[in-house]
Amino acid sequence: MSAGSFGFGRRVAPTAIILAAGLVLLYVFLYAPILYVVYTSFATDVVWPFPLDFTLTAYEDLFASSLYGEALSNSLKLAFGSAVISTFLAAGGAIAVLRYRSRRRGLVMFLFIAPLFVADLLIGISILAFNARVLGLPGNLVSAMAANAVQGTAFGFLIILAQLVRYNWSMDDAAMVFGAGPLRCFAEITLPTIWPSLFGAFLIAFILAFNNLEITFYNLGAIPTLPSVAWGSLRFGLGPELFALAALVNAFVFAIFAAMYGLMKTGLVKFGYRGQ
Amino acid sequence: MPNAALELDSVTRRFGPVIAVDRISLAIEQDEFFALLGPSGSGKTTMLRLIAGLEQPDEGQVRIAGEVVTDLPPYRRGVGMVFQNFLLFPHKTVAENIVFPLRMQKMDRAQQQKQLGWILELLHLQGLEARYPNELSGGQQQRVALARGLISRPALLLLDEPLANLDRELRSEMEVEIRRYQKELKIPFVYVTHNQEEALTMSDRIAVMRNGRFEQIGAKTEIYTNPASAFVAAFVGHANRLDGQLSEIDGGLARMNWAGGQLLVPRPADAKSGDRVRYFIKHEDLEVTAAGLNGGGLNGHVANDINQVSGTLRDIIFKGQTANYIITLPQGTDLVVSDTPRTITLKPSDPVIVRWPAGSGACFAAEGA
Ligand SMILES: Nc1ncnc2c1ncn2[C@@H]1O[C@H](COP(=O)(O)OP(=O)(O)OP(=O)(O)O)[C@@H](O)[C@H]1O
Ligand SMILES: [Mg+2]
Repeated sequence: MSAGSFGFGRRVAPTAIILAAGLVLLYVFLYAPILYVVYTSFATDVVWPFPLDFTLTAYEDLFASSLYGEALSNSLKLAFGSAVISTFLAAGGAIAVLRYRSRRRGLVMFLFIAPLFVADLLIGISILAFNARVLGLPGNLVSAMAANAVQGTAFGFLIILAQLVRYNWSMDDAAMVFGAGPLRCFAEITLPTIWPSLFGAFLIAFILAFNNLEITFYNLGAIPTLPSVAWGSLRFGLGPELFALAALVNAFVFAIFAAMYGLMKTGLVKFGYRGQ
Repeated sequence: MPNAALELDSVTRRFGPVIAVDRISLAIEQDEFFALLGPSGSGKTTMLRLIAGLEQPDEGQVRIAGEVVTDLPPYRRGVGMVFQNFLLFPHKTVAENIVFPLRMQKMDRAQQQKQLGWILELLHLQGLEARYPNELSGGQQQRVALARGLISRPALLLLDEPLANLDRELRSEMEVEIRRYQKELKIPFVYVTHNQEEALTMSDRIAVMRNGRFEQIGAKTEIYTNPASAFVAAFVGHANRLDGQLSEIDGGLARMNWAGGQLLVPRPADAKSGDRVRYFIKHEDLEVTAAGLNGGGLNGHVANDINQVSGTLRDIIFKGQTANYIITLPQGTDLVVSDTPRTITLKPSDPVIVRWPAGSGACFAAEGA
């Protein structure tokens, strides 16, 4: 063992200590507020929860309220629909950008990710105004899915592109020579190789839409989603059930990633293809 | 006459200003092993891709077994292909890779398995069926790629430098094997390579390609012994190159002034006295002996229909069955003589004489002269 290991009587390089401390601080910065919310969700007094007086009333209140149940179901539908749209558009875009060489490739790519630089509020209001005034469409779950897919597509595009640049398109040539038509080729060769990135794009788009307040709010109005119900109930103060809700949403997202990690570790699912 | 297995009719393919394949016409017979030999960028891969349907010709026609396929997509042409970097499907097992063409043909499963068993045995791949490509050695991957190309007994097998990624020993082993499969299965092979030894070992007929055109096309012995141009003479086999000027034409032969002496060389077509020429003589056509009693000082001399040159042995490069003797001539150029290493007992810096039959080798008008 060399310097940098934290053992008795062993020399530890000062730089290693500084780096480790920096890392710890970074994690505190990232996760302390979230851990605080989770911790507080189990407290009787949410204003000053120290020391912890353990209770589950916040969760009981949350589950007792029918509003949250309906909001959850809407949020899940919205997130799923938006993720499906985003993944399709992002995959199509990324494949087209890589397969068909163009001198304007840079511009094409930029236009795909540009929505990431537009504020949620603006996207929400613009889409509402455009749908209502120009297209004469009412705000509903479908238009909210489409609106959320704007950013989902941009993120998905980046994720899929990152894996697709390493994809060897000659593989499709080989499949075609051996008798596979274009669709067969995609299903047999391209998809099995790139599906992890499609799955990644789907997850990100799902989580983005699930958590989104502004874009969804302007396109749904009175239809409740989890973020809008939470936002609405803020008017009556920071209630305990909001802590419980926040804790559950975080647990849900965390569980998805933990499951993915577990699948990868056990080798049950291989993300990325068996490269040479 | 039955239809040729493959016919190209004045096929051209351009990429912007580059003419990758330039009005190529070609007919390949049913059980022929045909090699396309040429340096990098000469258009070999483009030609294979045109035959496979992965590229569309700008002009000309492609026929496979008499049928015009110019407008057919690759998946309707029924050819097999072995790619330079194998291009095995990484997420499929060896068996899945190999039966892929049969599955695309919707052959029934029992028949697929039968064919698979046959090809696995032919290519010594038994026991590897369940592995993934990244769990195979280079040589095994090569065999799998070959098996995938051959399993459906295609009308034609195209091979694009299939041995380029293998080490030397494996390569020479596979050269013999691939030729054996071709002869056994009687499927026409079009084999692309930039390695002249590979082309010479394996093929029946060779086309030497340069800048999208055929420099020469013919039986391999013909290409080797009777090159049609300076390019072919330099590219096929190992030859010494001597630049000189013709002084005297004598029927099919000519005298070439070279380094202060004279050599008797074959007369290039339409050559006149005074023309600048480039003369090629293969390493193995030369013979080296110790200068001995009749002494040095023979700088280009013809006696009894023998060309003779004297020089100093600079180095001997042992190659196993043969050795290359590098001889420095008085005016500074080098000649390479290939001979059996046992025959002579020469040491570096010995004075030597190099001899070869007058009129052998190949001579061409100097390019751009
Ligand atoms: N898709 C393409 N776009 C533009 N130019 C191309 C393309 N494919 C080939 N070329 C050009 O056509 C010419 C012939 O290329 P080709 O790949 O057929 O050569 P090759 O004989 O196979 O060479 P190598 O031995 O290096 O594989 C080259 O000048 C190449 O740059
Ligand atoms: Mg090539």
